[in-house]
Amino acid sequence: MKTQKTILIIEDEKSLRGAIVDILRLKNFLTLEAKNGKEGVEMALSKHPDLILLDLIMPEMDGMTALKKIREDTWGETAPVIILTNLSAINGNVEDDAIAHRPTHYLIKSDWKLHDIVKKIEEIVGR
Amino acid sequence: MNKQVPTISVSDEIILNLKVLAEEKEGVRRKLAVTAAKLAVTAKKLAVIAEKKESIRRKLVATAKEKEVVRLELAVTAAKLAVTARRLAVTAKEKESARRHKLAVTAAKLAMTAEKLAATAKEKENVRRKLAVTAAKLAVTAEKLAVTAEKLAATAEKLAATAKEKESVRRKLAVTAKKLAATAEEKEVVRRKLAVIAWELAVTAKEKESVRRKLAVTAKEKEVVRRKLAVTAAKLKISYETLEKKVLERTKSLEMARAKEEAILLSIGDGLLATDEKGNIIFINKTAERLFDKKSKEVMGKKFSDVIPLEDEKEVFIPLEKHPVNMVLTAGAATASLPTAYYRSKSRNRFPMAIMATPVVLDGKTIGAIKVFRDITSEREVDKAKTEFVSLASHQLRTPLSTVNWYAEMLLAGDVGEMSEQQNKYLNEVYRSNQRMVELVNALLDVASLELGTFAIESEKVDICQLAESIIDEQKPEIGTRKLRFSFSCAKDISFIHTDPKHLRMVIQNILSNAIKYSPDGGKIHLSITLADKQNILIKISDNGYGIPKSQQDKIFTKLFRADNVRDKDTDGTGLGLYIVKSIVDNSGGKIWFTSPPKNAKNGTNFCVTLPINGVPRLMKVK
Repeated sequence: MKTQKTILIIEDEKSLRGAIVDILRLKNFLTLEAKNGKEGVEMALSKHPDLILLDLIMPEMDGMTALKKIREDTWGETAPVIILTNLSAINGNVEDDAIAHRPTHYLIKSDWKLHDIVKKIEEIVGR
Repeated sequence: MNKQVPTISVSDEIILNLKVLAEEKEGVRRKLAVTAAKLAVTAKKLAVIAEKKESIRRKLVATAKEKEVVRLELAVTAAKLAVTARRLAVTAKEKESARRHKLAVTAAKLAMTAEKLAATAKEKENVRRKLAVTAAKLAVTAEKLAVTAEKLAATAEKLAATAKEKESVRRKLAVTAKKLAATAEEKEVVRRKLAVIAWELAVTAKEKESVRRKLAVTAKEKEVVRRKLAVTAAKLKISYETLEKKVLERTKSLEMARAKEEAILLSIGDGLLATDEKGNIIFINKTAERLFDKKSKEVMGKKFSDVIPLEDEKEVFIPLEKHPVNMVLTAGAATASLPTAYYRSKSRNRFPMAIMATPVVLDGKTIGAIKVFRDITSEREVDKAKTEFVSLASHQLRTPLSTVNWYAEMLLAGDVGEMSEQQNKYLNEVYRSNQRMVELVNALLDVASLELGTFAIESEKVDICQLAESIIDEQKPEIGTRKLRFSFSCAKDISFIHTDPKHLRMVIQNILSNAIKYSPDGGKIHLSITLADKQNILIKISDNGYGIPKSQQDKIFTKLFRADNVRDKDTDGTGLGLYIVKSIVDNSGGKIWFTSPPKNAKNGTNFCVTLPINGVPRLMKVK
């Protein structure tokens, strides 16, 4: 069996973060957790996870700023990042801003089943 | 030889002789034998010759017979030849006779021809003689003519001379006649002048008398007029004074009115700017001065774009020809507008404004244009606030729903252990209800976006057939479990349309999912995309499902409306789908309608949507 992949979950909502962490552990992933953008950036740049799940609306530092900071780093420039949010791209602005920072995917939480999100992650990290 | 020759002892000679004689006899005998042999040979030869002679004789006999035959044949041939000779003789006679006849005929003809020729020759001779006579006569005539010609020439010369003399005389006479005529005219003129002078002298005498009389009358009239003038002058003086007073009053009120109008124009809340027909600024109100941070003096008489440069969304300078004022002045538009332009003033940051231009028309001629500028900074802020509200509301509402969704999903999947059948059933209800709530929130957010005017149409090139296929793919599991008979067709001549892909997706998805929801298991659904005309595509979704009750058809696009006949069958509906679809179609410059049941059908519904291929006309675009 290959080495376990590490997923960093940057999410301020504890219950949501808990669900994601649980399912990923069940699917044999290693998980890292951060409850705002600032923590998330620090953890990402120090631990270099295989993939980052990123919420957008968070205290301290929002997800968009966090993604921008990650992309400024040489490692972070190409790191796979899935934006996972409930923020609708109302008139394209949010999405346009997000796409400018090249996320791997932009997923709306309430439209996605947990198991399908895991499938997406598995596709990207290659399992 | 058997004869015993007496031996005589006598002599040997005799014996010898006898021996010789015997030998000679033997020689003769031998010679005789040879001769006999030779004779036999000769006899044989003679016999052969005799045979040959016999054969020749026979042949001669045969030849004689043949000769006889040939002779007979020859006799026959001779007889035939004699017959032929006779015939030939007859033929020769006939030919000779025919030849003679022809010759006789030909001779006769020749004789006739000869006679004719002789006659002709005689005639010719006659004619020749006559011609000779005529020629002689002509020669005589010619000589006579020559003589006559000479005489005529002489006469002509004489006549010419006479004519010249006559002409000369005639000219002299003409000159004399003219001179006489001139003299006569002069005399007449002089006579007339004298008559006029005489008449004038008579008239003058009469006038002098008349004038003298009139002068007397005029003097009296002058006195009358002088008195009248004095009276009028007095009246005029009074009128003038009154007028002066009135003019002063009127001027004062006009000045007031003008000042009032100018004050109104100057104080209009929107920026106002007027140009002449060449586009030079001739008026600017206070709001515009403030808006552009320019004094009236700075801009008057100058081109607008020179003193007030505007930029578009992307900070690119907008040239004068793209200004609305240019459109009304040169293109003859009734009004023209620029929804958003940006300006950087000295005191303020870049701010957005809306511009509207209208032409000033006097007696059918455009003499200038008026531009109205409106600062739309606050409107923009309100728009932004609305958008942010909708975004945040969506986020806040959906977060707890997602939590319920995900945990229920893990439980149902058995990720954390198996549940009893009953537990599983209950949790399924929770999960499904929560799912409904998500859909409802999504629909409500779409409605809110529509009504807040933040439902922006982001037009781009969309492959509609491909889009429809992806929507169908999403619905396939449902179509499969419900055993629906689904078909799809997309016309070949359709490729791209200009529209907002998210909106187009919502339209097709909503109508298609309605068709699926409101058809019984095993129902039939067809989706087709065709060209309605050159400018529009037609999306048609037909089913043979429950249909829409006639009495409620007018309410189908109303917000939160659900038809009675489906409330019981499906509890999931939000009553927002068709409301959203209608809003999108209306805002996209399209049309939507339905027939239920469709023509020639007992039940079911046909939904039709048309959308412009080239997208929404710009003016219809929502903020």
